[in-house]
Amino acid sequence: MLALLKSKWQYPVIAALLVLLILIPFEGFMSQYTTLMIFIGISTMVTVGLCLLLGYTGQVSLGQAAFYGMGAYFSAVLSKGYGFNPWLAMLIGAAATGAFAYIIGYLIFRLKGNYLAMATLGLGIIMWILFRQLSQFTGGPDGMAGIPFLSIGGFVFDTPFKRYYLVWLFCLVILLISQNIVRSRTGRALRAIRGSEAAAESIGINVDQFKVKIFVLSAVYASLAGSLFVHHLRFVSPDTFNFLASVVLVTMAVVGGLASIWGAIFGAATVRILSEDLLLGLGEWDIAIYGLILMVIMIFMPEGLFVKLKEIFERLRLRYKRRGAEP
Amino acid sequence: MSRSVILETRGLSKAFGGLVAVDKVDLSVETSKITAIIGPNGAGKTTLFNLVTGVYPVSGGEIYFQGKLLNNVPAHKRASLGIVRTFQHVHLFGNMTAVENVMSGQHPRSSYGFFEAALRLPKARREEEAISLNAIKYLNLVGLGTYAEHDALSLPLGQQKLLAIARALATEPRLILLDEPGAGLNTLEKRQLSDLIRSIREMGISVILVEHDMPLVMGIAEWVIVLDSGQKIAEGTAAQIQKNPKVIAAYLGEEVE
Repeated sequence: MLALLKSKWQYPVIAALLVLLILIPFEGFMSQYTTLMIFIGISTMVTVGLCLLLGYTGQVSLGQAAFYGMGAYFSAVLSKGYGFNPWLAMLIGAAATGAFAYIIGYLIFRLKGNYLAMATLGLGIIMWILFRQLSQFTGGPDGMAGIPFLSIGGFVFDTPFKRYYLVWLFCLVILLISQNIVRSRTGRALRAIRGSEAAAESIGINVDQFKVKIFVLSAVYASLAGSLFVHHLRFVSPDTFNFLASVVLVTMAVVGGLASIWGAIFGAATVRILSEDLLLGLGEWDIAIYGLILMVIMIFMPEGLFVKLKEIFERLRLRYKRRGAEP
Repeated sequence: MSRSVILETRGLSKAFGGLVAVDKVDLSVETSKITAIIGPNGAGKTTLFNLVTGVYPVSGGEIYFQGKLLNNVPAHKRASLGIVRTFQHVHLFGNMTAVENVMSGQHPRSSYGFFEAALRLPKARREEEAISLNAIKYLNLVGLGTYAEHDALSLPLGQQKLLAIARALATEPRLILLDEPGAGLNTLEKRQLSDLIRSIREMGISVILVEHDMPLVMGIAEWVIVLDSGQKIAEGTAAQIQKNPKVIAAYLGEEVE
């Protein structure tokens, strides 16, 4: 019954959102939001990875900004410092970050219990220090400027208008891939691990291996997002990837509805807008606000804000339907 | 070893620090039979299950499944060999519907991976179709076909236990170990459970159950093994066990009906 109602509205709504997404950067429509939307798209890419890891598999990463930063710095250093083709730099960054996550995951997941949270917390801090200290490569605390644009053939992504489409193409592809994974044998295995590791193991799911794989995937998503980030801003500095950044990313995943792929856009957008417009004046107090948001959501809506809103919407619509059906 | 033995243990032991939970147990479980393992609390029944399914490494002795040494086979690989278990505390996946729980059980009988899933390649679609058809089949087998789309944990306990059995059957096992399947069920549900266990045996699957409910055990078990303080103290048919003085003593006056 619910599924039937959903299917009737699903496609028109998706089509309308897609048209909106395409039109946003046009002058005279909503072009003032182009830059904001680019950042939302980039954040969404990282958030989706966290949703897979945290929401579906039940593994906490408090250092996702480290992978985001690795992608950013690989792209920046290789393309500016060593003259690599930016696409190749992006690919190398994603591969290296994935390999790095594999090694960490391989070591951590052999231990039972939630050691990943602690390990990634430490990792995030170490990477932030490395970004600052390896100044002969990274430019140190001041960062690096003048990073080249991405380009295809002669087509250079030199305006926000062009980059908007590039970022959202990446973002949508990642969302679709993630949705396919969630609705597959692999997705069920991930959810099984969150549901009960003992039972998952008993029906033949290689728990450690799936945890490592999804951790690597989330790291690769973050790395790609980091690369897009530096080729958009053309500037990178360590503080973008500090501990607060990891907390913000977890907040996005939680607001977005942990076990919801498309909720990631909602989570990334809500937190991003909140941080740009509302929390800017608060200075260092913003971390307290993120903490508060996390607490309230985890206590009152453990499935995430987006899922909760969907539920409320669903209930209202059913009530409306029922009233409409009465004579 | 005779051909009809599906599971055999030799001198199987498990110690937790100084506590010996399973003490040099020799078992021989016949193929396509219902074997019950009974014994007072703390006799080592669940530990034995955990050893056979690979939750714990053994401290001593050997486990053979269809003649193959199991000792060093990791837990998740035992399901594809054909060993599966259910849990005393059900352990359903609460974040899934009933049918998705059973579909997860098809994991060792399907093979498409991350890459095929991500791109929804034909292999993924083909296997998914088989997985859902099989899942419905096993749900129907335990009588939960109409609850396919219900959240697993919204079902009453009796149905949750049946669902857990359906999930285990979906791995297409040769041997199923049921850990107290009757606990918490009412009389009617227990009768349905007995019928289900018999029909599992009819499918050619060997059943080992740990159970406290003596009428249930005596009604369906074709062979009964009695553990006490980690040791095997008796085995035989239900009728033989009920008269065994050692067994009666182990239960300290508890009536063995």
